Amino acid sequence: MKAIRLFPLELGRLLRSRLAWLVILLVVASPAAGLALYTPADADTMRSMYLANPALAGGVIGGILFGLLTVFELDRAARSRVDMLLDAAVSPHTMALVRLMALFAAAALAVAFALLAWLPVSLRLIGIVFDGTEYGLAYLLFMGLALPLAILAAASAYQITRRTDLSLVLFAAFAALSLTVWADDWQLCWLNPCVWAMSDDFTNFRLFRSVAYMRLTWLGILTGVWGISYLCIRCYGKGLPGSLRRGARRAYRPAIALLLLVCAGTAYAAQPFYDHSNPDLNAAQLYELDYAQGVAFLDRTIQLTPDTRSGTVAGRAVYRFQNTSGQGWTACFGVNPGYDLTASVNGAAVSAVRTGYEESNMALWEIAVPGNAQVELVLEYEGFPKDWNLSSTVQGDPEISGKYLCLENQNLAPYLLNVLPGEEGYPTTVEITLPDSMLAIPFGDSEAEVVAEHEDGTRTWRYTHNRAGGILYAGDYVREDIEAGGINVEFYYGRKHQAVMEAAGAADAVKTVVDYCTEHYGTLSFGTGETLKLIQSRVAGGGYAADGASLLDEADFTTANLGDTGKGAAPGETFIHELVHQWWGLGNMFDTPAEDSPWSAEGLTVYTTYRIVKELYGEAYAREHYVDQWQQAVDDYYLNFYVRNPEYLERLPEEERLNISNSLSGVRQYSEMPLKILKAEQLVGGEAAMDQILRGLFNREIDPAYPFLTYQDFLEACHLTEEDLELG
Amino acid sequence: MAKIVRYECKRLLWNKFFVGLVLVLLFYGWQILTGATILGVAHTAPFSPWSFGDYLSRALPLLWIGALFFMTFFTSGKARRTAALTGAAPMSPRRYALARCTAALAGTALLALACLAEAAVFYGCYFGWYGWGELLVPALITLVPPLVFALGSGFLLGRLRSWLLYLWMLVPFVCLALPLPESLSLWNGSFFSRYPLAADSLDPAFALPTAVLLVQVLLFAVGVGLLLFRWGKQGRL
Repeated sequence: MKAIRLFPLELGRLLRSRLAWLVILLVVASPAAGLALYTPADADTMRSMYLANPALAGGVIGGILFGLLTVFELDRAARSRVDMLLDAAVSPHTMALVRLMALFAAAALAVAFALLAWLPVSLRLIGIVFDGTEYGLAYLLFMGLALPLAILAAASAYQITRRTDLSLVLFAAFAALSLTVWADDWQLCWLNPCVWAMSDDFTNFRLFRSVAYMRLTWLGILTGVWGISYLCIRCYGKGLPGSLRRGARRAYRPAIALLLLVCAGTAYAAQPFYDHSNPDLNAAQLYELDYAQGVAFLDRTIQLTPDTRSGTVAGRAVYRFQNTSGQGWTACFGVNPGYDLTASVNGAAVSAVRTGYEESNMALWEIAVPGNAQVELVLEYEGFPKDWNLSSTVQGDPEISGKYLCLENQNLAPYLLNVLPGEEGYPTTVEITLPDSMLAIPFGDSEAEVVAEHEDGTRTWRYTHNRAGGILYAGDYVREDIEAGGINVEFYYGRKHQAVMEAAGAADAVKTVVDYCTEHYGTLSFGTGETLKLIQSRVAGGGYAADGASLLDEADFTTANLGDTGKGAAPGETFIHELVHQWWGLGNMFDTPAEDSPWSAEGLTVYTTYRIVKELYGEAYAREHYVDQWQQAVDDYYLNFYVRNPEYLERLPEEERLNISNSLSGVRQYSEMPLKILKAEQLVGGEAAMDQILRGLFNREIDPAYPFLTYQDFLEACHLTEEDLELG
Repeated sequence: MAKIVRYECKRLLWNKFFVGLVLVLLFYGWQILTGATILGVAHTAPFSPWSFGDYLSRALPLLWIGALFFMTFFTSGKARRTAALTGAAPMSPRRYALARCTAALAGTALLALACLAEAAVFYGCYFGWYGWGELLVPALITLVPPLVFALGSGFLLGRLRSWLLYLWMLVPFVCLALPLPESLSLWNGSFFSRYPLAADSLDPAFALPTAVLLVQVLLFAVGVGLLLFRWGKQGRL
């Protein structure tokens, strides 16, 4: 009660301090640093540049300033040598609590002022993609929560050490760790959360959730540490041990602190956002399981009900099998590690066992199935989907909200790992219930249709496909049809992005790319018609393609890019890459790349992207952004110490070894191979000759037994040898 | 004299600040070694003089802060209030200042040694590498001039206003943010990651351009000069 009575007095005293007001003013101004000096979110979306970066800068600067203010305020009584008088009037424990609350209140005031001050600025800078909820959440989570964390950390350091100097060193080291070596660990970077991009057209709730989770975990940890430090507050003239003994006499105090630490530690260890997949990217245990003998997959039906408010997924998948062996067998499924699973076979519940092994964002589940000839296996699954741990620095997926949803393979339904398909392949029916503002778009050649409309404002969509996995996009999309290269391109993009797409001439850019590839290499053909879907995804920093569908990253076409005249009228390059995959990778298939070979679909795709960019934006741009960068990446790769001295890599502990080798992978496929193809182009006589060779390869007669385009095929078509393409 | 030095050393080093600082430094250093140094700098080995110099540059801001905090022991308000008593000691002010300076240097050297020892453990455990001789020069050139300068400038600033020392602690962070020219690039560590890339060969032997060397020598000389200036002018800290 005394603390509550003293709180307004202490807050009033604090707000009469000129230093406190200076700190508050600096905190309010600090988001300005995010516009130019501190820009950790490097995507080109408007919200990344004008919302995420200012809020993150405000968090970093505000946190540091409030940490320093905390030490200064806590030391004020001792510095003025009135601490003994003050302790005689008010218990030092009560006073610590009151000071903490007053500092929290001052921090809240600073954040409120910042929110108000930056609202008109953000409105003007972000433009039509401004959203009040996103603005509030970004400032509260990226900036606001950093301040209490800094206050707790600095106050804990002071209360334990009771020395200004040591407290400042501890706080400086704690902040510096977050800003440097912990910056890429999403759970440790308490001051500067891992935010690399914010979507303009869709929602960012997954990102907000993970930042909130990280910040609240740290809040728990630091409150616990503060609770321990509270016990260390010097009283009755005693030193640290005596004060600790005295402070711990009331058992609930250490109990609460320890409970907080245990809870926060548990929350840290059991985070629901990232899985524990095998860090070895070359591991393929899930794809090397023995197939069940005599068992064939017949078909499956998937019914999904995503909860767009909580970001969770609930589903029911029914698999039918034909078993000719008469023996019981084990069905193995790769399931998103965030899902829980129950199973029944022919109506009887069976045990589904989670083995504990995770790989490629899939947890391995095993289900013992009896030896019936006809098996109907029903899997009911539910949970908050986890993302692959290697994506932890590019947070934001899988986003599930009322505006956007993307469910890929094991996130959509349990992925069957050890049963071969029957004669029909993988006939699959998917039903998904979504808010009526969302359009369901299967990634591939299927078309979804509405089969039911419900009174709660949802609709059920149904589509069929014949693939082992499956990807579904849904959102508030508009569709534009483009005729190009003899095919119809269904171009889906966010409704909010319509004006930008039109201003950027996105449809023309798509047409240009499709026409270029068709003219140079040949016409695409799809199994079920001449239609290609091009779907705009949330900002992802990359994309993928499947038969009849390619992705377009929303960062390809942003208002910021429109103003970049150096990039021409059609700035998107990720979408060019993913469209080109329709020719290289899908139209012509490539075998799984060998570990020591740079040959894959990426080499020809990157090379073709370079050629298109060269045609669109000019030679100088293409050389600077493609050839020079390939060369730099390849040079760096071959000069890397561990590439030159692999014996040292082998000596390192496994975690470090995998971190380093994973960071080096990809260079050979994405940079070395395009350089080799460029060299081949020069050796065969130039671009026209290379185009002729590639056209021949694209339209060659395919061997059904081995339909892949190999490096040897490429070399033979060029009349070159591997040695000819060695990069000197 | 030796007794005073021992006493000042005890005052400076036998307290929780020093112990805490060493622990923080070791923890921070280990994070650098396992998070950044392990990758090597400019295509060189993690245990090359360049990578080692980069590690020291990253640890330098904390060493700088530690050295300046040692100064606060002598220049704080509390220390000034006891100056009347220490001033009555039967010892020349010049020698007394020298004793304190020696203690501050010893403390700073111990902090630096903790960093070096930690790197030795890291290199031994991770790479089985023990070739310490070639790391001596980068260690001396990276650490000695700035730390002596920190002590010298700290003495001067602390005498003017003790709070100036706290502002002075931010200098390494300002250097990190500034695009310094090559001659000053040792101050923010960019020298170690850039200079070897300009060399003709891979894994170049450690070398310093004359300009960089001159700047470091100048920094060292100014640091020493500031220390001597203090003694000559006032003689007492």
